[in-house]
Amino acid sequence: MSRGMGSTLAAPAQTAHHRDAVGAKLGMWLFLFTELLLFGGLFLLYAVYRTRFPSDFHFAATTLDPLVGTVNTLILLTSSLTMVLAVAALERGRRRAAQAFLAATMALGALFLANKASEWAAKIGHGLFPRSGLLLDRTDGENLFYGLYYGMTGLHALHVLVGLGILAVIWGLLARGPRRGGEAAAERGTERLGSEAAAERGTERLGSEAAAERGIQLENAGLYWHLVDVVWIYLFPLFYLIS
Amino acid sequence: MYGPVTSYPASVDATFYFIVAVSLFFLLLVTTLMIVFAVRYRRSRRPRAEQIEGHTLLEIAWTIIPLLLVLAMFHFGFEGFRALRSVPEGAMTVKVTGRMWDWSFRYENGREAAKLYVPVDRAIKLSMTSVDVLHSFYIPAFRVKEDVVPGRETYLWFRPQTTGPADIYCAEYCGQRHAYMMSEVVVLEAEEFEAWLAAGGEEGEKEGVPALLARHACLDCHSLDGSPGVGPTLRGLYGRQRALIVAGREETRVADEAYLRRAILEPDAEYVRDHERNMPAPVGLSEEDLERIIAYIRALE
Amino acid sequence: MARTAAPPAPLACSYLHPGGGRGGLLGWVLTTDHKRIALLYLYSILGFVAVGVALGLLMRLELIAPGRTIVGASTYNALFTLHGVIMIFLFIIPGIPAIFGNFILPLQIGARDVAFPRLNLLSWHCYIAGAILAVTALFTGGGPPDTGWTFYAPYSIRTTTNVTLAVFAAFVLGFSSILTGLNFIVTIHRLRARGMGWFRLPLFVWSLYSTAWIQLLATPILAITLLLVMMERLFGLGLFDPARGGDPLLYQHLFWIYSHPAVYIMILPAMGVVSEILPTFARRTIFGYKAIAFSSMAIALFGYLVWGHHMFTSGMSDTSRWIFSLLTFLVAIPSAVKVFNWTATLYKGSIDASPPLLFVFAFVFLFMIGGLTGLMQGALSVNVHVHDTAFVVGHFHYVMFGGAGFGLMAALLYWFPKIFGRLYPRRPVYIALGVLFAGFNLLYFPMLVLGWMGQPRRYYDYLPQFQTGHLISTIGSWVLLVGLLILTVTLMRAARRGPWAPPDPWGGTTLEWRTASPPPVENFAVEPAVTGRPYDYGALGRGAAAPEGR
Ligand code: HEA
Ligand code: HEA
Ligand code: HEC
Ligand code: CUA
Ligand SMILES: [Cu+2]
Repeated sequence: MSRGMGSTLAAPAQTAHHRDAVGAKLGMWLFLFTELLLFGGLFLLYAVYRTRFPSDFHFAATTLDPLVGTVNTLILLTSSLTMVLAVAALERGRRRAAQAFLAATMALGALFLANKASEWAAKIGHGLFPRSGLLLDRTDGENLFYGLYYGMTGLHALHVLVGLGILAVIWGLLARGPRRGGEAAAERGTERLGSEAAAERGTERLGSEAAAERGIQLENAGLYWHLVDVVWIYLFPLFYLIS
Repeated sequence: MYGPVTSYPASVDATFYFIVAVSLFFLLLVTTLMIVFAVRYRRSRRPRAEQIEGHTLLEIAWTIIPLLLVLAMFHFGFEGFRALRSVPEGAMTVKVTGRMWDWSFRYENGREAAKLYVPVDRAIKLSMTSVDVLHSFYIPAFRVKEDVVPGRETYLWFRPQTTGPADIYCAEYCGQRHAYMMSEVVVLEAEEFEAWLAAGGEEGEKEGVPALLARHACLDCHSLDGSPGVGPTLRGLYGRQRALIVAGREETRVADEAYLRRAILEPDAEYVRDHERNMPAPVGLSEEDLERIIAYIRALE
Repeated sequence: MARTAAPPAPLACSYLHPGGGRGGLLGWVLTTDHKRIALLYLYSILGFVAVGVALGLLMRLELIAPGRTIVGASTYNALFTLHGVIMIFLFIIPGIPAIFGNFILPLQIGARDVAFPRLNLLSWHCYIAGAILAVTALFTGGGPPDTGWTFYAPYSIRTTTNVTLAVFAAFVLGFSSILTGLNFIVTIHRLRARGMGWFRLPLFVWSLYSTAWIQLLATPILAITLLLVMMERLFGLGLFDPARGGDPLLYQHLFWIYSHPAVYIMILPAMGVVSEILPTFARRTIFGYKAIAFSSMAIALFGYLVWGHHMFTSGMSDTSRWIFSLLTFLVAIPSAVKVFNWTATLYKGSIDASPPLLFVFAFVFLFMIGGLTGLMQGALSVNVHVHDTAFVVGHFHYVMFGGAGFGLMAALLYWFPKIFGRLYPRRPVYIALGVLFAGFNLLYFPMLVLGWMGQPRRYYDYLPQFQTGHLISTIGSWVLLVGLLILTVTLMRAARRGPWAPPDPWGGTTLEWRTASPPPVENFAVEPAVTGRPYDYGALGRGAAAPEGR
């Protein structure tokens, strides 16, 4: 790069933080916290309207099928389990197994969405959707219940969808194998450090470092997936079990 | 700070000036100190600074003293507010309706008006609601204000001290003509007011259709002379082809009597193309008045 | 101006000209270097400020006389909406954290970069995407949004203007803000230099830390509120629509739960800047380091509990009104503590009345007026009168523009040599400050008077009795513009042609002055270590915070 400042590059300690697992996890937890607050606003609305229109909410909830909700709860819980298994597998270095568990998680997530979609489709088929003629004839409380139902489960489904995207990306990264991932990391390192620094670091070390990075990424994706799960655990009783 | 001796506005002003006085004191104190220090300890005079880390006693002092002062401010503000929210027994109630972009007032005997007529030195309670969006009822001279919220009733009260008119504004942004959503409170002598109130029922009959349209706020959006406004002009409307949006689809219809009736009573059912969609349905428009309006529009060539 | 006599040679390897194929536009918009990202923010934010200022000037022109002057009522309503949205979401909230936080924070804690450099770049991309959406909202759909920056329901749900897109833009901008905050928290926790304990952090870092927490805790609430407005407009869920049982007051609660803490997102970083500049130019340690650091956290905490003071006349319960009033007064105390400590920092200093310091004086004066008018609004009975009048407009321009805006200018003047590696001439900056200061007070003080007289805000037109105040105010806006132009031209010239700056032109003690101006890509030649507190001018002149083994 440049002459005068060559000594800078001889300071490897400066680069250590790019593989800061604790930092990455801290960041993820903070992000999950913001997600909780995002749903928190909706839960707040739910709480207020529920106290204002208790009987309407009770009545409206009878139109939702607890069976569909229960099945979906089970699906999501199982997917959280497979997620945990995937993380554990990668920790023990079993990349293929991790990929398989990840694939199972994604399949379950997709199943959840399919289930959700058919439930929505049935409701909409019955004419139960915001501004529908049927609902406009009902009480305010019931309208609000359906508003919240569509708003909250919709936002949740969006999160499942995003989660699926993230898992797919990580699955792809895993499929490329730790070695090529290592090279990718080396490239990224180069971009920041200059080629001398990259050259200085052995490919061997990069390989294991990249594997560790995959581990962090998978773990963080897992945290996100659990969040989506936890939110559902609250949505389920609020909408399906109160009638 | 309030009570029978001083009026409510005077108590608000007293609280305000108390806070202004405290504020001026601190503003001048801090500004003066900054300037004095900057001049006195300028580098040319004082090349080496003295390193002072802090002073616990001072920290405590300048936490506690402002704390006491703001508690006093809170107290005065709270006392005034309590007065504002406690309506005295026997207050006269007037119902206020806010709509885009007009106020209307309805008295206990059913009389309606576009200005707020009240007797002097009597407690008046306003019970308010809105038919469309948020508005805020504001009489600066009386130092009172409260939002007018659709779907709920809010209130405020005041006791006018002197006769004469004062401005009423809408203080919550409510769309295009927010700045013109004004009216007047007219404070009358007690007898004058009783006479005005008693004259009630008849004046409605006597008023012409333009006055009727004005009272229902139609003229805020519609002109009678063909000039453009928020809504289409009413001049030459009758018998025209109208390009409408009905349930999302475009349609054309002739503006006959049935159409006008629908357009007025259910403005949300069909919209005129290329216009805002914010016409409110009129409140308390009698069948008779509606017919007079339609007949009037029909004649407005 | 330069304290060090020897004119330093231009640095061949600064982040501005790193060499090695990293020039060109792509080298900028795809950079992960915190310093370059900071400059990206600087230029994009200044671009939007220019738009916001133009809209402000147009409003003032319209209000120069009663009746229609240059635009119609709908246009005026769109003007203040966009002015507010741009100034708040595109300028003053990202302002200091995104520009100077990004540039200075890693330097001040002796780090090489922020914790997540790529995330940092993503934040900027979100910012630009949000800004583009906001501008698109002007020209598409049913015309520019006309709701005010507060998007109050149910009007925001009913109006036919393009609110959906504008709200979505604000949502994306919120995302950018969350990511920046998250990045800073992790950076401060993980990347401090060796020996830099929490009470050795420069106060600017403390202020960024508390700001970041507010960004993280408050912005999601805004995000969901804005999402709901969108869903309401697109699908009609009815959650805020009184016609279907929804409650518009809940919208206001959700909006202000974010937006009150947001005002502290704006002011805290500016307060941090002040706490940096004062010790440097008084050449002495800051008075009450811990009091200032803790008051930042106190503001961040208590700032959550006072949102209801925007709703004293909204129709919410009387009990909540007085509780919110009481809490509002309490949250003013930490600000007062800061002001007093700053003043005491000048006591027995060795004061150099340099441009950054004079801007800080202006800041303190204007912020005091803004804060003290805030107290007037906090008192319940007074608030009932002045709520939603020009008084409030006066208040928030004093705190936001007089406070955060002047803070931003002070920061720019203070770190200008570090960022651009150049010095600027003092005299035109003094002149600019004088003009800005005079124009500012001409523009906004009349608003306080008008508001007290009863002039409501967001009024396209007004009664003749308010004319004088409006006229003075409009004149002030042009004076202000002249000041801004002088400042901008001076700085733009200096950035290109000023004399080269030494590493530490002001004699500062914090770590950012321990590296070249402009800094090299890697920030420090040697990893710095910290052995003392910041602003330690007592310890042998100024060696305390110097890196080891130099
Ligand atoms: C940078 C932004 C910023 C800051 C820092 C503040 C700070 C404060 N604000 Fe302000 N405020 C806004 C931005 C800000 N505000 C905006 C944008 C709005 C309007 C939004 C809208 O409706 O569009 C608003 C509106 C607003 C209202 C609602 C007005 C209404 O609509 O009715 C209120 C009411 O209480 C209020 C109060 C306060 C108070 C008490 C402080 C305090 O934190 C101030 C503390 C500071 C001091 C007190 C001064 C320094 C201290 C001294 C000089 C020592 C002496 C002190 C004592 C004796 C205590 N503000
Ligand atoms: C920081 C925020 C900010 C700033 C800087 C400004 C700047 C200006 N504002 Fe502001 N204003 C708002 C935030 C701001 N405004 C908000 C939030 C509202 C409420 C909107 C609503 O009601 O919804 C509002 C509303 C508002 C109104 C009230 C509208 C109404 O209620 O009817 C008016 C009226 O005149 C006005 C005027 C102006 C003018 C003339 C300027 C300026 O154009 C004056 C000229 C300014 C300059 C010339 C300098 C600006 C430069 C900087 C601050 C720093 C740049 C940095 C460097 C150069 C380093 N504004
Ligand atoms: C807030 C503004 C507003 C008010 C107040 C208002 N209108 Fe309207 N009006 C509109 C708008 C906008 C339209 C066009 C869109 C639509 O058809 O709803 C309209 C349409 C109409 C039409 C159909 C016109 C056409 O060109 O086909 C009639 C008739 C009408 N209004 C009558 C009235 C009457 C009578 C009143 C008072 C009782 C009134 N309006 C009050 C805004 C308003
Ligand atoms: Cu009604 Cu503003
Ligand atoms: Cu506030």
